[in-house]
Amino acid sequence: MSTIIQTENLKKHYPIYGGVFKKKVASVKAVDGVSLNIFKGECFGLVGESGCGKTTLGKTIIRLFNPDSGHIFFNVPDDIIEEIKRIEKENPKSRRLRRLLEQYDAAHFKGENLRFLRRKMQIVYQDPTTSLDPRMLVKDIVAEPLAAQGIAKGEEAEKMVVEILRRVGLTERHLYRYPHEFSGGQRQRIAVARALISRPEFIILDEPTSSVDVSVRAQLLNLFQDLQKDFNLTYMFISHDLSIVECISQRVAIMYLGKIVELASTEEIFHNPLHPYSQALIASVPIPDPTKRKARAPITGEVPSPVNPPSGCRFHPRCRLAMDICRRNEPRLADVGKGHFVACFAVSGEKR
Amino acid sequence: MSMEPRVKEWKFMLKRVRETPLALAGVAIIIFFILIALLAPVLAPPTYSDPFKIPQDKEIYSLTPNPTPPTLTHIFGTSDQQYDIYYACIWGTITAFRVGLTVVLISLIIGLILGVAAAYYGGILDEILMRFTDIIIAFPGLILAMALVLAFPAAIPINLSSIFLVVSIICSFVIIMARSDRKLLLVTQMIVVAFLVSYIYQPIVLHLEITNLDKVLFAIAIVGWPGYARLIRGEILRVKNEDYIEAAKAAGSSDFRIITRHILPNTIYPLLVVVSMDVGSIVLTAAALSFLGIGAPIDYADWGQMISRSRAWIRNPEMLASNFHTFFIPGLFITLFSLGWNLLGDALRDVLDPMLRRR
Amino acid sequence: MTDEEILEVENLVVRFYTYEGIVEALDGVNLKIRKGEILGLVGETGCGKSVTSLSTLVLVPPPGSIEAGKIFLKTQGKKVNLLEQDRETLRTVRGSEISMVFQEPRAYLNPVYSVENQISEVLLVHRKEEFLKRAIETIKKKKKGSNFELKLYQRMLEKPKSLTTKLLSKFTSKRTLKMELHNEVVALLKNMEIPDPERVAKMYPHELSGGMAQRVVIAMALSCNPKILLADEPTTNLDVTVQAQILQLVSLLRKNFQSSILYVTHDLGVVAEICDRVAVMYAGNVVETADVFEIFNNPLHPYTKALLESIPRPGKEFKSIPGVVPSLIKPPRGCRFHDRCDFAMEVCRKVKPQFLEVKKDHFVACHLYGGSK
Repeated sequence: MSTIIQTENLKKHYPIYGGVFKKKVASVKAVDGVSLNIFKGECFGLVGESGCGKTTLGKTIIRLFNPDSGHIFFNVPDDIIEEIKRIEKENPKSRRLRRLLEQYDAAHFKGENLRFLRRKMQIVYQDPTTSLDPRMLVKDIVAEPLAAQGIAKGEEAEKMVVEILRRVGLTERHLYRYPHEFSGGQRQRIAVARALISRPEFIILDEPTSSVDVSVRAQLLNLFQDLQKDFNLTYMFISHDLSIVECISQRVAIMYLGKIVELASTEEIFHNPLHPYSQALIASVPIPDPTKRKARAPITGEVPSPVNPPSGCRFHPRCRLAMDICRRNEPRLADVGKGHFVACFAVSGEKR
Repeated sequence: MSMEPRVKEWKFMLKRVRETPLALAGVAIIIFFILIALLAPVLAPPTYSDPFKIPQDKEIYSLTPNPTPPTLTHIFGTSDQQYDIYYACIWGTITAFRVGLTVVLISLIIGLILGVAAAYYGGILDEILMRFTDIIIAFPGLILAMALVLAFPAAIPINLSSIFLVVSIICSFVIIMARSDRKLLLVTQMIVVAFLVSYIYQPIVLHLEITNLDKVLFAIAIVGWPGYARLIRGEILRVKNEDYIEAAKAAGSSDFRIITRHILPNTIYPLLVVVSMDVGSIVLTAAALSFLGIGAPIDYADWGQMISRSRAWIRNPEMLASNFHTFFIPGLFITLFSLGWNLLGDALRDVLDPMLRRR
Repeated sequence: MTDEEILEVENLVVRFYTYEGIVEALDGVNLKIRKGEILGLVGETGCGKSVTSLSTLVLVPPPGSIEAGKIFLKTQGKKVNLLEQDRETLRTVRGSEISMVFQEPRAYLNPVYSVENQISEVLLVHRKEEFLKRAIETIKKKKKGSNFELKLYQRMLEKPKSLTTKLLSKFTSKRTLKMELHNEVVALLKNMEIPDPERVAKMYPHELSGGMAQRVVIAMALSCNPKILLADEPTTNLDVTVQAQILQLVSLLRKNFQSSILYVTHDLGVVAEICDRVAVMYAGNVVETADVFEIFNNPLHPYTKALLESIPRPGKEFKSIPGVVPSLIKPPRGCRFHDRCDFAMEVCRKVKPQFLEVKKDHFVACHLYGGSK
C-alpha cells in the first residue's frame, strides 16, 4: 500500500507565559514527537483520552496549527523522504535542504503551496452546531471552499453544491436554509458536504459522531464508509469511543500525553494489546453484555497534565510493569512484528 | 429557481416587521421624516439661493424683533429676529439626517477598521490600538468636541497625493488581510502604485471649505468611534475561536474573506442597534453644541440652532408661556427623530439577523 | 407498592409550555425503584429521562409543570406522595432522602467556595443537630474548646430560632463544630477513594479534574445517607478509564450504603456493567422494564430490540433506526414509536398501548404483547 501521509517527529507545544514580563514559563507539550504513516485509502483510527493530543495532532497534520518542529510528507515519494532525512543528518543548514523542505514538507509550506494543500486535506468537526456559520445559507457554507480556492463560482458552483448535497443525502430544497433549521445529523452531513466539495484526498474526522444521537450515528458511519469508497478517500478517525473505532478503522494508534504508545491493525490492537496503557484503556470500555462485567477498574489515577509530563516514559507512574529504566528514558515505537508497534521497554525488550 | 427563495426571504422580512408594533412605529416615524426631507423644496420653498438660510419676515421685523406665536402665515410662529420656525424645522430635517448619518458613518469606518484589526490579529497590535482607544475615551466627549471644533482650520488644501495617502493606508490594511486573495491583492497594489505616481506629480486640486457644522461632525465622529471599536472587538473575540472560523481557514479562505463573510455578519448586529440609537443621540449632541454656540451658524436651518436661540426668551414664566413654541416645536422634532431611530434599531436587527428572523 | 420498593412513579405527566407550543415531555411514566438496586434509565436525547429524574425531586424548571400522576416515596414506614407535599417537607427530602448527581460536576459546584465549605453546607442543612451534639461531646470529653462554645452549642440545640442564638452563632468562631465537620468531610472524601483527602478538601472546584469533581459531587450527594441517589449521566463527560473507576465506585456505594440508584444514561455498555434492572424510555414513555439480563437476552419491545441492534459491532454493518424521534409538540397518536416500528399494526396508530407485566417482572408497553387490554 502506498503511503499518503508520513509524519516525522512532529511536535506542537503551546507556551505558557507568566510573570510581569510575560516570559515563557512552561509549555503544554500537546504533541511531542509523533511519527506515523497513513496508507492511501485506509481509515486510520486515533484514540486516546482527554489531554492526549489527538485533536491537536490531526489539526497539525492538516496545517490548521503550525507545527513547532518535525515533518509532514503528503504524497511524497519515498526516495525524496530518504534524501531529506539524509541531508538533515549530514548538513542540516544546507540550502538544498531548505529548498527541498519548502517544496515537499507540508510543515514548511507557505503561500500557494499551502493553499493547494488545503484543497487536498479537509476536516469534519465534532460539533456541527458550531462548525457551521449560523448566519450563512447552506448553499454558501458548502460552496465556501470553491470560492476561497477559486475553483468555481456562481451557477457552476451551485451545480457542484447540489451534486455534493445529493451524495450526502440532502436535496436542493436545503440550499436556501440556515443551519439552525436542521437536525444534528443533517448538520453533520452539511459539514461533510463542505469537506468533500474540493475533492480532497485526506479527511480528518474529529469525533464526528459524538454530538449526535445514537440512532443517527449509524447513518453517519455508513455514509462515511460509502463516501470513502466512492471518492477514494483516506480518513483519520479521531475518537475516544473505542467501540466505533473498532468497527470503522483498519489500523489504530493509541496516544498518551502527546506520544503514540501503540500502533497496529485494528484486530491486533483490540485482541492483543501489548502496551499496559492500551490494555487498561481497552479493558475499561463497558461491554453491552451483562455477563461480561468487570471485577475491578483496570487502572487507577488520572491522566496527568501535559504541562509537566512525567520523566522518561510518560506512563510510568501508573504502570504496573514500570522498571527503573522507564523513569529515566523514553521508549521509542518499536516494531514487534506484523506491523505492530509498541513504545514500551517492558514489552519490546528494547534496551537503551 | 435561485430567485424565488430570495423573494420569499424579503417577503418574510417584511412580515416580521409588520408583526412587531414597535418596529412598525419606528419605521413609520423615519419614513415620515424621510418624506419631509425629500419634499422640503415643496413644503417650504427656499427664499435664498442657499436653501438652508432661514427666511426672515421683514414686515413683522420692522414692528418687533421678538418671537411671534403661530399664525396662518407662519404656521409654527417665528423665533427672535423673525426667523420662520416652520421653515427651519422642515429644512432642519435634512440637516438632521446629514448630521446623524455622516457622523455615524465616519465613526463606524474608523471604529470598525481599528476594532477588527485589534481583535482579529491580537497580540501587540491589539495592545497598541486599545491603549490608543483608551486615550480617546479618557477625554470628556463634549469638551473634546468643542476643542476640536475650535482648532479645526477653516479650509483644508487637498491634493491628489493626500487622497491617495489615506486610500493607501486603508489598502495596506486590506493587503495584509487578503494575503491569499489574488484579485484583491492586485487591485490594492495598483492603488498604491497610483499613489506613488501622484506623489511625483502634485497639482493643488482644491481648497475644501469646511463649515462650522462640518467641524462639529468631524469632532463628534472622532469622539464617538472608540465605542464602536470596543463593541466590535468584544464581539469578535467571542466569535474568533469558533469552529466555523477555523473551518473557513481549512477551506483556504483568506483573512479578508473570513472577516467580511464570517466574522462581520456574526458580530455586527449588536452594533447595528447601537448605531441606529446613536443617530438619534448624535443629533442631540450636535444640538447641544449648537446650543453652546459652536455648531451651525446663526441663520442655519438646524433644530439645535432654533432651541439655542430660544434660550434668551424663556427666562421667566410669562416669557415661557408666550414663547413656548420657540423651543417646544424644534424640540418635538428632535425627540421624535431620536425615538424613531431607537425603535428602528431593534427592528433592523430583528429583520436582518438570520438567526432571529427565522426561529 | 411492595415492601421492597421505596420509590414509585405512577402515570407521571409533565408538560413544557414553550413559545413554540406545548411539549408533551412525559406521557404517563411508570417506574418502580427497589431497595438497594441500581435501576438504569436508558433512552436517547429528548426521550425524557432527565425530566423524569428531576420530577422525582419535584424540581422541574419552568416552563415545565407536573400535570398529573403520583410519586410515592416510602419514608419512615409510610408511603408519601411527594407531589402533594409542601415546600418545607420537600426541602427535608431533597439531599437527605433523595440526592442527585449531574452530568457536568463543575457546573454544579460553586466556584467561589472550597470543597470542604460546600460539603459542610449540605451537612449543616440536614444533620445540624447531630454535629452540634458531636461538638458538645468533644468539648466535654476531650476538654478541647472553650466553655463559651459549649454553652453556645447547647443553646443552638435548645433554642435554634431565637434571635440571640442566631446573632451569637453568626459572629463567633465555632471552631469545634468546624473541626467536626472537617473530619466528616475528609472521611467522606476517603470513602470516594479520593487520594489525599485533606488536601482536596481545601481545593476549589476549578482545581479539580473531571473525575475528581464528580467524586466530590457524589460525596456531597451521599453525605446525608440518602435512600435514593439519582445519577443523571454522571460519567458521560468523563474519559473511559475514569468512567470505569466511577462505575466501580457506584457499585461499591450500593454495597456499603445500601442506597438505591437511578442511573440515567444513553450508553448501553454502562447499563450492562452496573445495573440490576433497566427501564427503556422513548419519547416520553417508559416502553420496557426488566431485569438487566432479560433486557439484553430477550428484549420484547421493538424499540429496545432496535436499540440493541444499533450497537456497533466489528465486522457487521452499522444498523440504525430509520426515521427520527417525533416532535413532542404534536406527538403522534397511539403508540409514539409506530412510525418507525417494523412491527406496526393498525391499532398502534390509534391506541396508546398500556404498560403491562407480560412476564414475571418484565413490563412492556406494546400492542404485540396485549397492550390494548
